[in-house]
Amino acid sequence: MRVSEGVPDGNIVELYNPEQFKEREEVIVFTREDFHNTYNSISGQIEYINKIAMHLDVGDDWKLLGYWPKFLERIYLLDLNMDLIFQEEPVQCYLDTYLYNSIGSSEKAVAVSKSKVPVQLKFSI
Amino acid sequence: MRFSYGMMDERKILLYKPELFLKGNDLLVFPSKEFYKWHGDIKECIDGLYQINALNMQKGKFVNKSEVELAAGVLNIITDELEHVFDRESVSDFSYHYISALDEKYKKRRLNGYTSDMRRCDIQIPVKPEITHLLKERNMMDIVNEVNKDFIMARRKGQKKIK
Repeated sequence: MRVSEGVPDGNIVELYNPEQFKEREEVIVFTREDFHNTYNSISGQIEYINKIAMHLDVGDDWKLLGYWPKFLERIYLLDLNMDLIFQEEPVQCYLDTYLYNSIGSSEKAVAVSKSKVPVQLKFSI
Repeated sequence: MRFSYGMMDERKILLYKPELFLKGNDLLVFPSKEFYKWHGDIKECIDGLYQINALNMQKGKFVNKSEVELAAGVLNIITDELEHVFDRESVSDFSYHYISALDEKYKKRRLNGYTSDMRRCDIQIPVKPEITHLLKERNMMDIVNEVNKDFIMARRKGQKKIK
């Protein structure tokens, strides 16, 4: 998709790449921060699901009973984020700093007994 | 999200709602027709994911590995579409536009579920042998005896040196 960044100046936006668009073409304009936050949130939900789904082996169907609702929660958030793009109101939970959600685990925090547990079971729900 | 439509006019954009962007932020500008198409495509994929779950909603049926793989495949399509937003060479397919016709009941969230608190209560850590008061006493006495022996050995060494 053709995209350009720009700077607002009263009624008009001065584009960095004006050659991208044709004359009299209709465009949609977002603030970069808003779009960045929503885009990152969407990517984050997908990453979360992919990380867990990749590590589920064949024969782990019983684990799906617990993980599938977690996937659904994330899918719901994905849906919400996509709807948010076209909502007129500003985002209610808009924070200045973006909270990066990940399921990282640091080796230092793992207790001695847990280090003997296989990797697949380490994901905290 | 704040957004405004605009019209390209002599290498600048005329905003329809300039009051939203008074603070001089950086702006991103997309062609609106292609952006709608992009949005519709991703909504289509998300509806697909809800449909996979619809099977799960029937009584007695559970999601199995093949459905998770299917969901992972749909997520890959969404990832590709996300990258396509910033790819200037990509061309959108305008032959159809998806409008979501999915019934709301498929999107209903199950608020109750197996929460992590419930899991913490259910985890039972077996302890063999069972720790009784006697066992604790014996353990303590073992430590005391051990320390006593070391103390006596050290004192003997000390007395030998003096002699």
